[in-house]
Amino acid sequence: MIEVENLQVRFGGVRPIDGMTLTFPGGTCGLIGPNGAGKTTFFNVLSGFVKPVAGAVRAFGEDLLGMPDYRRARWGLRRTFQTEQAIEKLSVYDNVALAHEHSGDGRGSLAEDVLGALDFVGLEVDPRSKVGTLGARERRLVEVARAVVGKPRVVLLDEPAAGLPDEETQHMGRVIRQIPEHSGALVILVDHDMSLVSACCEVTAVLDFGKLIASGPTAEVLRDEKVMKAYLGTEET
Amino acid sequence: MVIVALLAFVLAALPSMLSTYWITVFTAVAIYAVVALGLNLLMGRVGLVSLGQIAVLALGAWVAAKLLFDTSLPFPVVILLSGLITMVLGTIVGLPALRLTGLYLALITLMMAGAITVVLAATDFPNGGPGFLAHSESSLGSGATIRRPAVAETDPAYFRYVVVTAALMFLVALWHVRSKAGRAWEAIRQSEPAALAAGVNITLYKLWAFALASFMTGVAGALLAGNVGQLFNYQFPTRDNIILLAVVLMGGIYSIWGALVAGLLFRYLPALLDTWGLPADLLTILFGVGVLQVLLTAPAGIVEQFPKDMARLGRLVARGAGRVVGGVRRA
Amino acid sequence: MPSWEEFRPFIVTGLALGGVYSLSGVGLVVLYRATGVLNLAFGAVGAMGALIAWELINNANWPDGLAYLVCVVFGGVVTLLYGLLFGPPLAGRDPLVKATATLGLALILLGAMSWIWSDKARSMILPTSNENFMVSDVLVNYTQVIGFAFGVVVTVVTAAFLRYTNLGTAMRALANDREITATLGVPVRRVEAAAWLGSGLLAGVAGLLLSNLVGLDANTLTFLVISSLAAALIARLQSLTVTLAAGIVVGLVNALITPILSISEYRDMTPFILAIIALLWLSRHREVRIGRAAG
Repeated sequence: MIEVENLQVRFGGVRPIDGMTLTFPGGTCGLIGPNGAGKTTFFNVLSGFVKPVAGAVRAFGEDLLGMPDYRRARWGLRRTFQTEQAIEKLSVYDNVALAHEHSGDGRGSLAEDVLGALDFVGLEVDPRSKVGTLGARERRLVEVARAVVGKPRVVLLDEPAAGLPDEETQHMGRVIRQIPEHSGALVILVDHDMSLVSACCEVTAVLDFGKLIASGPTAEVLRDEKVMKAYLGTEET
Repeated sequence: MVIVALLAFVLAALPSMLSTYWITVFTAVAIYAVVALGLNLLMGRVGLVSLGQIAVLALGAWVAAKLLFDTSLPFPVVILLSGLITMVLGTIVGLPALRLTGLYLALITLMMAGAITVVLAATDFPNGGPGFLAHSESSLGSGATIRRPAVAETDPAYFRYVVVTAALMFLVALWHVRSKAGRAWEAIRQSEPAALAAGVNITLYKLWAFALASFMTGVAGALLAGNVGQLFNYQFPTRDNIILLAVVLMGGIYSIWGALVAGLLFRYLPALLDTWGLPADLLTILFGVGVLQVLLTAPAGIVEQFPKDMARLGRLVARGAGRVVGGVRRA
Repeated sequence: MPSWEEFRPFIVTGLALGGVYSLSGVGLVVLYRATGVLNLAFGAVGAMGALIAWELINNANWPDGLAYLVCVVFGGVVTLLYGLLFGPPLAGRDPLVKATATLGLALILLGAMSWIWSDKARSMILPTSNENFMVSDVLVNYTQVIGFAFGVVVTVVTAAFLRYTNLGTAMRALANDREITATLGVPVRRVEAAAWLGSGLLAGVAGLLLSNLVGLDANTLTFLVISSLAAALIARLQSLTVTLAAGIVVGLVNALITPILSISEYRDMTPFILAIIALLWLSRHREVRIGRAAG
């Protein structure tokens, strides 16, 4: 469980996150909202790239914000990026090994864990091939593999299927659904693709202008009027 | 492998083929290849630019000369100590600077190089004199020279000694690149957020790259001290810091073997031009053009254009060597 | 510890040199803010201009004034040419890459200077160096006055130019955000060219003055840019007033250490030490940005 309490982020005059309070219970949780709502900023706060001016985040009882950024991966925080950041000059194997060797013990040996992760995401290329030679779908899968190798506790997925055609998106959905069971991690999925969110997440939270405007079982949230208004940008009367 | 064969040839056959002048030149090539290797790792692996590696080299040479004059430690120990002391100094310098971004970091290395140069201009190099600075003006005339390892006192023998040490440094570099450090460095170079998200302690790995580059440069400094016998400030001109950057870029920063090409550009080409009666300044201009060309077109440097240019370089070398193999340097 | 009398002449040299560091610093800062390029070849350009002027005066018998003009114009033209040729292709790259490219120019100029003029000692005396007056027992020559005065004048004029003219405003807009400025219809390339030219002319002036205040030596003049760089860095490559103050401080401290014999040999470290302190102090927060460069 992740508890966020009155989180505030400020960049000059802008407040990307403006008093966000919510709880992610477990399993796979969705986080949606219109562009600029603060979703990626929230991920950046969790990763440590952005420092909030106020608020607290407790993950599985521990104060996440108090940890130095690179230690969070060791603690078990993993993420993928909106624009995928697989390391081009390294091989598929090395990309995943990178995450594993810097984030503490896995269940088996390095090779076992890495190949296990690649297997889990369904990546069928030669692990020795350089990521730079792969296409978008494979690269995104490499990123996901990197996020699930070893013993992750929290997996943040930022639009993991962006730019992928339907079939690949569905495959990604199947993989994401299995993460909590496979590794015991809490998954937070940020995406604009509502079918992906419905397929993977039991609960979903909605952000708008840096604040929480709705949360609950995914199906209910997606039907909520407030949420629809936020996306359509209509004025509240 | 090609490299091993080349190494064997260089160690076994080359010294007997060359005159003393050229042996000294190639010894310098090996030494500066190691210096270039340090910068190559910094730039190519971690994306850090240092504009002060020659100043660090001078520092390493100073330490080595001091140890060689004031103690009777065996040469290998001196090499190791020069490397370690230079490494410590480099790390101390690097530590506060690592939070700076690329341009800032490069500029601070330029400033540090400037500071070191001024200090060395004031203290000069050890030459057997008294006190901590081990320098005395009167010693200048006495011809006190820095000693060489007992097993390698002659020029050909010292050449082999240097090549073996250089090969060791390249091995260390290779090992690093293929290991956990190499992976972390590559991640840092491409995307710091991704590296951070994977748990890489970026500051630590940048520091380690700095430390390694400083260690290698310190080792090169010791080898240089033994090669030239007497150290003077004019052997470390400020412009060499920039020329080193140029040749490392031209040699190619995405492969460690680019450092070898850099060493050749830095010390072999000038000697070659000298035998042809051409001024070394032409090379400075060429290197300037080279920097611009590399940055504009081929960020990976010459190593990528290797096959094409190798043929041309090979012909150049053959012509140059032909005038020298007779054992007499053409004036 | 030397007495006040012994320090006094060094106050003069310090102020004069500091003024030139400031004017060079302003040249560096304005160019950086408008184009994102920190021109490390600034000193080399000035050095070559000065050598060309020397050549014209001593070997071609040109009138002094014309030769000095050539020096300044040379600075402007070479810098402008570089900017036109290498500015656009590198425009989107990291400031580090752009600065490294200018090192290429520096090497080309250094090589050319060594080749054409070799490293012989030369001197070029501006007529103003022979005219002097006394200020409470200290000899001051007019070149020194010009050095200091130009530093102040250039800073003030440039600041006013950036503030009150259309071109200046365009440059500030460019420094702030290149993309948006382009969409506003500002002729980006022309504004950048103006910045390159202006910065280059200043390089020529600095080269001329420094060849008098310090000496006409290619290497020395080229690497004196580091002192101007120190001033610009202390100002975080942003504020012109701080650049002026910093340049003067660097010049003064450097000169004032000269009579303190115990550390006099190390006085040339001053700009480096000050710059290092400034850089480290500024990096005490995690995120460090040097000014807001275009691109």
